[in-house]
Amino acid sequence: MRKILVIALALSAAILSAQEFKAGSPVADFQVRDLDGKAVSFSSLKGPVTVVTFIATQCPVSNSYNQRMIELYKDYTPKNVKFIFVNANRSEPASEVREHARRVGFSFPVYKDPDNVVADRFDAQVTPESYVIDNSGILRYHGSIDDDMNVSRVHTQRLRLALDALLAGKLVPATETKAFGCTIKRVHKVS
Amino acid sequence: MLKRVIAFAFCLPLFATGPLPITLVPVDEAGFQKLVNSHKGKVAVYDFWATWCAPCRAELPQLVKLGAKLRSQGVEVITISADEPEQKAAAEKFIQKFGVRGPAYLKQAADDDHFINAIDPKWSGALPALFVYDKSGHKVRSFIGETDMAALEAAIHKLL
Repeated sequence: MRKILVIALALSAAILSAQEFKAGSPVADFQVRDLDGKAVSFSSLKGPVTVVTFIATQCPVSNSYNQRMIELYKDYTPKNVKFIFVNANRSEPASEVREHARRVGFSFPVYKDPDNVVADRFDAQVTPESYVIDNSGILRYHGSIDDDMNVSRVHTQRLRLALDALLAGKLVPATETKAFGCTIKRVHKVS
Repeated sequence: MLKRVIAFAFCLPLFATGPLPITLVPVDEAGFQKLVNSHKGKVAVYDFWATWCAPCRAELPQLVKLGAKLRSQGVEVITISADEPEQKAAAEKFIQKFGVRGPAYLKQAADDDHFINAIDPKWSGALPALFVYDKSGHKVRSFIGETDMAALEAAIHKLL
């Protein structure tokens, strides 16, 4: 009996940590919360091309991308790309996210992902980490925004390349890159 | 008495300078493999960390303690900073402060993705990351994110 319970717990842990959205596969609807706690669905936020990026308030790597994210939003919103910035860190409450967004001058909303449910479905591990979803709801890119935390050393604008390719109706040159940054501070679930 | 005074005078510079400063040694994919090969015969724990990573900073002193505790049993903890080049001095200062044993290393890869894949294709690059190698130089465990030191120690003991 005890063995069955152990197996069941292990299975449920595996299910909880299983990645649902993978490159080349469809992204099902999911919900985030606005900073007032109201549920907002992906289906109501998405566009012909949608970027989901997990960010943080306290992570120096994520913060080093603040200006780059503002520029991405400014450059691609007119091209009908929608951006969903998500904070899934248990250690960063909505009030802190709101204050951080104000302080760094984000021109876009940031959503919370309570209990990192959405981060788990994407299997997002770090901040910043980006996902690009096409018009058919297929995940076309997963990885970093570019290839260096220091903007002066960036060689490849990975996210921009993916977006440009999708907007031109072409194949994304690299569908998976390694996202680098601070680990997402998850809530403790069954282990 | 004179002998004692002379001996003390000779020792003074040692006290004045303190331990020798650690200079981080750059390491790429090939260099990492050489490190693994050079630690065959020991259980080696490779700690990838960065000054900007709060859990890494919290973990490093615990790893130093664990390394000191298990060194006589053939365990070596090797630190590899994933800091940017401009943070090298800060990283050196940090490891110096916590008594990390040298040599200590600084990731220096032409392509980060290639480097991360060379260490472990399943690793996203998230920090902190600990990789445990057995005495034959085979990677047997990885701990990504905040790590329970007791779990790490138990994993090491299985390899001794």
